[in-house]
Amino acid sequence: MNVAKLLDKRRVQWSELENLCDAMEKSGRTDKAGGVHHRGAEGVTRFSSLYRAACADLALADAYHLPPGTVTYLHRLVARAHNQLYRANKFEPSRLTEVLFHEAPQQIFADPCVRIATIVFFGLFALSMFMAWNEDLFPKFADSMVGTEQLEQMEEMYEKPLVGSLDHYVSMSGFYIMHNTGIGLQCFAYGILIIPCLYNLAYNALTLGTVFGYMARPDAVGGDNFYHFVTAHGPFELTAIALAAAAGLRLGVGLFYTNGLARIDSLHASAMRAVPVMVASAVLFCLAAFTEGFLSPSPAPYIVKAVWAILSSGLISFYFVILGFPRGELAVIHPPRTSSGAHDAA
Amino acid sequence: MTGCPDVILSTRTRYRRMAARWAIILVIIFAIFIISGLIDITALGSFATAGMFLVYFAINWFYGTFMETYFNGRTVGKWACGIRVIDIDGRPITGKRALIRNLLRLADMLPPVALTSIFQDMPMIFMVVMIPTGMVALIVMVATPRLQRLGDLAARTMVIVDERTWRLPVAKVDDARVPALASFVPADYRISQSMARTLAIYAERRHFLTPARRREVARHLTIPLVEQFEFRSDIDPDLLMYALYYKTFLTDGSETPDLGPLAGYSPLLRDVNKPQGLAGDAAQQAKIKAGPAAEKSTANRFDFLNTEGSR
Repeated sequence: MNVAKLLDKRRVQWSELENLCDAMEKSGRTDKAGGVHHRGAEGVTRFSSLYRAACADLALADAYHLPPGTVTYLHRLVARAHNQLYRANKFEPSRLTEVLFHEAPQQIFADPCVRIATIVFFGLFALSMFMAWNEDLFPKFADSMVGTEQLEQMEEMYEKPLVGSLDHYVSMSGFYIMHNTGIGLQCFAYGILIIPCLYNLAYNALTLGTVFGYMARPDAVGGDNFYHFVTAHGPFELTAIALAAAAGLRLGVGLFYTNGLARIDSLHASAMRAVPVMVASAVLFCLAAFTEGFLSPSPAPYIVKAVWAILSSGLISFYFVILGFPRGELAVIHPPRTSSGAHDAA
Repeated sequence: MTGCPDVILSTRTRYRRMAARWAIILVIIFAIFIISGLIDITALGSFATAGMFLVYFAINWFYGTFMETYFNGRTVGKWACGIRVIDIDGRPITGKRALIRNLLRLADMLPPVALTSIFQDMPMIFMVVMIPTGMVALIVMVATPRLQRLGDLAARTMVIVDERTWRLPVAKVDDARVPALASFVPADYRISQSMARTLAIYAERRHFLTPARRREVARHLTIPLVEQFEFRSDIDPDLLMYALYYKTFLTDGSETPDLGPLAGYSPLLRDVNKPQGLAGDAAQQAKIKAGPAAEKSTANRFDFLNTEGSR
């Protein structure tokens, strides 16, 4: 068998495909590949038929005893054409509402990780709040948790009543989105290793709880102003941190609790389940940031802020419980033990 | 003689192209630094400040996700290095997967090391500068067959080298002795698949070896073949390999090669004692026939034999 002759014959088409690939890589179209028959729809048809021919050549290459160099070349050519023909799937904005109002609450309601993260976060938060508040039983708690300097700084910060301008509000809400959502995403990412996530979560819970407790002491300077500031965005922000950590923990737990899947498949399935929760958490962070930027620092009466806090808590409860209540689709969220392969919701 | 110089050339142009890409990127980064250094962002008003925070946040967290989703699995850095992210099944990456693998980069970059713990005498202000070591990613990559990091495992993606134009290596034979020797290989010799592969690799790589080394490498394969074909044992192993390559890949099997001045020569063991079988004798005959012009080709004929014979 004369491979050289065969290759010479096929090479014409292969180099044509290479040219089309070049054109596709440069501009995403086949128009500039040179030939008249490479323009528009004709070019696309030509490209796909050349691609199929190259696939067939690759399939036959082994049977023909082609030299390994040629097989490698064909592999690369086919891969290159494949990457141009099948391009990355973009995000679909229309799916976002589906993810936010259906998948995420269902997942949040059904996922034990959410319960664990919430208990860890709010449990430690309440505990440290109590311990920092109760000066008689735990006199040194607040100072040793947060540090005396930081506490004094805190008091100094909230000594004066809140005043603000629109300029300040806008730039600060931008900052809060960046900073707080960043903490949430960090919690999520560390979740795959579980311990850093729990550490991050506990650290945030203890610090926040201690400051809240310390400021609740009757003799704390600026305590009123502090609560004036934090009440409005508290529910959104604290829930968002717990949710981000829950989404992260889902990843880490997927490595151990495999539900009958191979470990890596299980990790992937968990990741797919965790993404909607993380998206919901990011939305909560943004809501919290706007509240924190605009409403919290404003000199509006406390009752307005309290009403907003109650309203937002009600919204979160509605979201978690009413939207999240299982609707006979748990089979999708909890894959049965017999199923194999990852459930890819993408 | 083969496509090898082409391959080297294309590797060279590949590196040159890569260097050009890096130069473009560095120039752009430098320009961004200069421009952003010249602008006082707070003077532009609060919306600009908020916008700056948001842009920073978006780039910091979602640059990779955005680029990989909308530029077919590549970021600027990946483009410059000629690599691409795809699904482990070979399908292109989806937005959700890109999001997972890019968010989890943070966990892959653990544990961070404070700059002050490396350089003890640095001012304490540098304590906030944390350098990610990426040990988690390195360990996981070493442990997985597709060199995936944690984010890749969770998203079922992998990073591949994105090969661009690459010349097809077909070794051409322009040595007259090769077809001549190939014509003596028995017609019923069926080449096995692994032998075909070995021959192709040998023909592609023999240019990087010295003649002595070629014989040394080829001898391991040719000793049983010489016995099977009943060739004389002092035949050049490199030439025999090359002849087999020629027979396997470059002939139709039906045509008889034009042997030219080599027509009288036979490498077969039974022809050793025939007068035309002797290389020296054949050379004499050829000289008589073709005159001094054939001197060069007769010199070739001597090379049929391994002149370093028993070494």
